[in-house]
Amino acid sequence: MFLTLIRQELLIHLMSARFFAAVVITLLLVVANTFVLIGAHEERLADYSQKEAINREKVDATPTYSVLKLKVQRPPNPLSLFSAGLETRFGNDLDIAFDSVPALSNPIVDVRPAEEQWAFGSVPSLSSPGAPLGLNNPYLHLFSQIDLVFIFQVVLSLLSLLFAYDAIAGDWETGTLRLVLSHPIGRGKVLLAKYIAAMVCLLLPVLMSLLLALIQCSFARSLQFSTDDFLRIGGIVMTTIVYLSVFYLIGLFISATTRRAATSLMLCMFIYVILVLVYPNWSRFALNPVGDMRGEKRSAEQRITQIREEADRERDRFLASSPLKGKPPIFMDTEGLSTLFSGAGYFLLGDFPRVNLELKDAAHPLAQHYRRYYAFAAPLQIRNAEKVGLVGEQLVGQTSVRQARWDERLMKLSPASLYTFATAAWAGTDLDGMTDYIQTAQAYRRTLIDTFHERETFASLQWFAPNEQKTIDGSILPHFRFEPVDIGINAQRALPELLLLVFINLVLFMATFLIFIKIEV
Amino acid sequence: MRHIVTRELLDHLTSLRFALTTLILVALMVTNAIVHLQTHPERVRKYSEKVNASQTELKSRTQLYELLQKGPGKLYKRPSSLAFIADGGDAFLPDESVSGGFWRLYGLTYLWSMGVPRLNMEALSNLRPTATVIDWVFIITYLLSFIPLLFTFDALSGERERGTLRLCLANSISRPALLVGKFFGSLIAVLIPFYFAVLFNLAIISTGSWTQLGGADWGRVALIVLIASCYAGIFIAVGLIVSAMTRESRLSLVVLLLIWVTVVVFMPSTLGTLSTKWMPSVQTHHQFQKTTAAATDQIHKDFLDKRQALRERHQVVETSQEETASIDTSELEIQQELVNEDMEIRERLSRQHLAAQSAQVLRARQITRCSPAAIVQYALESMAGTGFNRHLQFLAYANLHVQQFRNFITEMDRGDPESLHIIGIPKGMSEKPVSPEAIPIFEDKLTFQDTLNPAIVDILLLILLLSVSLAGAFLVFLRSEV
Repeated sequence: MFLTLIRQELLIHLMSARFFAAVVITLLLVVANTFVLIGAHEERLADYSQKEAINREKVDATPTYSVLKLKVQRPPNPLSLFSAGLETRFGNDLDIAFDSVPALSNPIVDVRPAEEQWAFGSVPSLSSPGAPLGLNNPYLHLFSQIDLVFIFQVVLSLLSLLFAYDAIAGDWETGTLRLVLSHPIGRGKVLLAKYIAAMVCLLLPVLMSLLLALIQCSFARSLQFSTDDFLRIGGIVMTTIVYLSVFYLIGLFISATTRRAATSLMLCMFIYVILVLVYPNWSRFALNPVGDMRGEKRSAEQRITQIREEADRERDRFLASSPLKGKPPIFMDTEGLSTLFSGAGYFLLGDFPRVNLELKDAAHPLAQHYRRYYAFAAPLQIRNAEKVGLVGEQLVGQTSVRQARWDERLMKLSPASLYTFATAAWAGTDLDGMTDYIQTAQAYRRTLIDTFHERETFASLQWFAPNEQKTIDGSILPHFRFEPVDIGINAQRALPELLLLVFINLVLFMATFLIFIKIEV
Repeated sequence: MRHIVTRELLDHLTSLRFALTTLILVALMVTNAIVHLQTHPERVRKYSEKVNASQTELKSRTQLYELLQKGPGKLYKRPSSLAFIADGGDAFLPDESVSGGFWRLYGLTYLWSMGVPRLNMEALSNLRPTATVIDWVFIITYLLSFIPLLFTFDALSGERERGTLRLCLANSISRPALLVGKFFGSLIAVLIPFYFAVLFNLAIISTGSWTQLGGADWGRVALIVLIASCYAGIFIAVGLIVSAMTRESRLSLVVLLLIWVTVVVFMPSTLGTLSTKWMPSVQTHHQFQKTTAAATDQIHKDFLDKRQALRERHQVVETSQEETASIDTSELEIQQELVNEDMEIRERLSRQHLAAQSAQVLRARQITRCSPAAIVQYALESMAGTGFNRHLQFLAYANLHVQQFRNFITEMDRGDPESLHIIGIPKGMSEKPVSPEAIPIFEDKLTFQDTLNPAIVDILLLILLLSVSLAGAFLVFLRSEV
């Protein structure tokens, strides 16, 4: 009897026009959007390799180690096709230098007056990601990009509500419910049969569109999914099913509580609009629980100034015993300087100014003093940058990250947002994924510094003065690789949202069951 | 007919959907107003602070050459007082002019040029999750399309199912009259909560002294409300078409919702990016920088060649006093040529770069106009003075101002008989101090015409769509079996 019920429900759904129409629309949307998304991904890839080439050129043209500014990049994540998350918006390239620590964002920028921002570019000792990859024409960001998860989120949740709204109320109206219950079958089983049949029907468009998308991807050479990626896609599919089940159960619940299919339909539609379209946008737009953060920013800036002043004092103490006189970029007041250097040269302003002039005579006594100075100053700058980096990281945690987390928490009151964040966690495009990137970059910077320490680069002539070729040895620089985290970690990150969705499912099912048991037929 | 309208209206007014609609529209409109009340004064304050700073700096310059070399200062886009109606991605679009490249070589200094304005990537790339701004555009495009469908999907098919349609037509009521009655009944039922919410919104916004609207603003708001009503009318007509075509009201709802999802949610963004795939790609920023560098390098090289030739002439020829003077002036002239050409080529290239980018966006927007939601969005943005059209207008005004500013300098220089009239070189220009009051000042303005002109196409398109869908509803309903 149970199986018959399932079969009957299945057939009703599968043969209905609504199912057919919904599947056709879903597939069309998926195909069109996958096409767009693959194109965007390719554009990002092209941009990525172009920027890589430019960065290499820049490294090759660097005359001394002290002015070396390495740029690292996060390769485009192919899973952003499914869930874009922060991937397509968050900055991509990151400056790596011995005297600046990578951070998620540079929160102090907006408390400085505009003129100072120009002078420093940003807070020295902190480097944050620049522009996101892709889109030759940045104005095209005005058109929002749609990922596959968004299609499921909007279209299929609508479909599941349409399946559910008359499941009980409709049967009740037409009298079939009475007929079905006259058979020797428990009410729980009737409910379960309806649920199973509907879920199977919802699974079909998900799987079909997924297959179509993967076929399209396989035609595009640029998209290569690894085994782990397929597992992650599996995770996304699982989350999709749990999500759709939430909406089906919401519909079922409403259907059980209202006696008329028309009323149930209206309620379903408004709940859909609120949960999927209105609430996630509304909460981000209207609520700002963190509020004004200028106080924290100011105090952090003061601490950074203190750190800098302390480092300046330490440097001045060292210079007091050195024959080098004057301000550190070029030590203008030092006697005999003109016999040491030739050429106009240049120097860059940064946390500590760095010198970069053409050296005439390496054996000159002053050159020794320069070397000694830099052997002292560079580690000081590194320490200084790390201290500032710590303050910066704390501040980012207190401001930007806290704000983003609160936004997420509030948005998660809607299952639609739970679904978005869970899939972003699977795809590795969420905030945690971006944090991973920053951490990898920080580790890379430390390796770079270790390499310098090993080769005693800080004390070498080439630290501040170019050699004859006017290039540094690029081969000693370590390679940067950003690998997506282990799939286990992805699963761990998606788990809270997934469990919440499952929990909502259980609660809704229980509630529907209790009401259905008491319903009078 | 009047009877049908009132009956329909009463039917709707007592229904659950009407109550829910009112609730949701009022809630959203109130949120919109409150957030605008909180954020707008800050925007206006920042704008006037920046403008004041820029103007004070400009007025502190008294030398003609200095004015020319440093340019008209930063020009700022005035925040629209109707920003709560259409956000238009204004946080992302540039709101100030940017100077082009700068250099100091051969004892010469660059002249200020208008560069490519910077997009505010920070608005895009912060860590907060993405969300659409809840402005009128959001409320209108999503809800004033969704709600009409909920009001009309069973207007005809439902009555047919229940048999009341047959009953109705058995009376001496013509089909067109019935349809028009249904149309206006539903339209008024949808618009009552909308107008109610709009009044709420405007009342709250009028309480703030910073956010009060001027006379022209009220005119624009009235037009915007009319556009929104027209948009709701389109979806009511579409709802009637589908409702007349289908036997079951259930099926009609599914079809309508799928149409809605495609047309309103997906088409405006997907079609936009999709269409750019078949357009010629534009220069990337990197390529633009490279071309600029190559072009300016060429100019600088030409200058060096010419200067070399002059110097050689200077050495070879046994120089008389006269000839030295002429060589000096021609040296000044080639210097003038260099700085002016450098400035011009920078401006020309950045204008071209921008024009190509804008053309692509505009073409993509043309294609997204397949969707009435996109049409309404663009119309509302233009009317509210935000968004892409406003951005283009701002750039056009800024360019015009730069032209005026340069003309002013040339005029002033021409008025001084002591000057050599070699514009662009300190030695060649008038040294008379300029009175600060005479310097032309940029004030970003937005006239009613400016907002209406780009919106006219969209408004006409909407009216066209409305009449087409109404005609469609008539045709379908006249031929449908009862």
